[in-house]
Amino acid sequence: MKKLYSITIAAGLALALAGCAGNNASTPSGDRDGDGIANISDQCPNTVLGTKVSKDGCKIYPTILELNEKELCSVDKNGIESVIATAAKYNKTAKAHGVEFKRLGMTNTQYIDGVNKALKTGGKMVVLLNKKGKPDKKLKPVTVKYAAERACKFAISALAQEAEGKTNWRLAVPGDGYKY
Amino acid sequence: MLLKIAKTTAILALTACTLNAGEFNAQAEKDRLALVDYMEAKFADPLKNRYTFFPYSTDDELKNNIASGLKHQDFAIGNYAFSKQGKFSYDEIKEMPPYEELVEEGEEIYNNNAVIKACFPDPAIGGDYPYFDESKKEVVTLTSAINKCITDAGEKKWNEKKGKMAILQSYFAAASMDAEKKVDIKIESAEAAAAYERGKEAYYTQRGYLKLSCATCHVQGAGQRVRNESLSQLLGHTTHFPVFRLKWGKDKVANGLGTLERRMTGCNKDQGENPHKANSKWMKELLYFMAYMSNGMNIDGPDIRK
Repeated sequence: MKKLYSITIAAGLALALAGCAGNNASTPSGDRDGDGIANISDQCPNTVLGTKVSKDGCKIYPTILELNEKELCSVDKNGIESVIATAAKYNKTAKAHGVEFKRLGMTNTQYIDGVNKALKTGGKMVVLLNKKGKPDKKLKPVTVKYAAERACKFAISALAQEAEGKTNWRLAVPGDGYKY
Repeated sequence: MLLKIAKTTAILALTACTLNAGEFNAQAEKDRLALVDYMEAKFADPLKNRYTFFPYSTDDELKNNIASGLKHQDFAIGNYAFSKQGKFSYDEIKEMPPYEELVEEGEEIYNNNAVIKACFPDPAIGGDYPYFDESKKEVVTLTSAINKCITDAGEKKWNEKKGKMAILQSYFAAASMDAEKKVDIKIESAEAAAAYERGKEAYYTQRGYLKLSCATCHVQGAGQRVRNESLSQLLGHTTHFPVFRLKWGKDKVANGLGTLERRMTGCNKDQGENPHKANSKWMKELLYFMAYMSNGMNIDGPDIRK
């Protein structure tokens, strides 16, 4: 009985391995990365298992409106270097699109620069600047964490607002989407 | 027979051209008339229509400060069209406006600068800008035209927001008002119509961290109060520039005058956005749209604002 049990397990394993081998094979009909897209149609044959992919087998990135800004910009969850890198990445696009945010004389680029400078020097605070780019004596400096999170949220919000605006701006136009 | 065919063809071609030229501004004209209707409806009887147009205004404001029964041309003087208290102070300052000497200085600049005079032989051009340059396929503002004129002659370009630029433009505005000119913006091609549409989209799109569009304050918000200021309306916004703002001129009178670009940059900042450059395509197209909305209105500049 024990012998029969062992044989069954061995056969099962062999079958499973054979199946996997067949699936991993670089044959056109196989699916090497297991994303559900056959190798022949898979433009990204090495996506990490479990990644959401499109019809061509490549990773589907969330649109700017699908990004979870609170999560992405949390220093506690991601670390300050990651948050400021996210800020820099999205702010570059916001700047190129002419939608960069500015608050109290400080552009978002200046927030990012302030955080990076503090990280290099080990400073804990970011000095806020006036419209001439000089330290604003009327405003208290903010913590590096606060500045990093603000820069990150500003960068993503600017692009999200731009994307939303493409579909809803007409709602404010008299004679078009605006009814009164 | 051949002559008849040629004549008919020529007439048909001419008719087609005329129709096409008329069609390019069809949407803009529809927008302009809808804006006039909206503003006239809004200020017909503010107290009666408070729930539609003035949901946040107090009884006192609606009864004592917001004028009623306003018509199209009334809006040419900005928020003083409806703000009774503001109009009272405005009328007093207008008796001896602080920009008078600057207009004279502008006239001197004009008369003593052969280059400027050659580029702008008629100074009464306040209602003709911005226009769409069909050969370069871009919007030309009065500011960009002046700077092009002087840089083409080898001079250094002027500050686009204040100083000589605003001072010269104040003379152009005064000359235009004296000549009873009206805003006369043209859209005569598909490219010009596209530039107008981009300017319109920019005007109605929310911007900055405060999520405000220009329209939030100056269309839907027009006539409402922010702190103690009555928000002016888009209709008639470009008729009175450059303006002398008391806050701009508090340290130095010559700095008090500012161009439309200076004011728009300030609005961008108030929205919480990194302002667009005065000479950018974005700014020029925004001004093109804004000026079209004031088409047919009297030039009433330069003027004074807080």
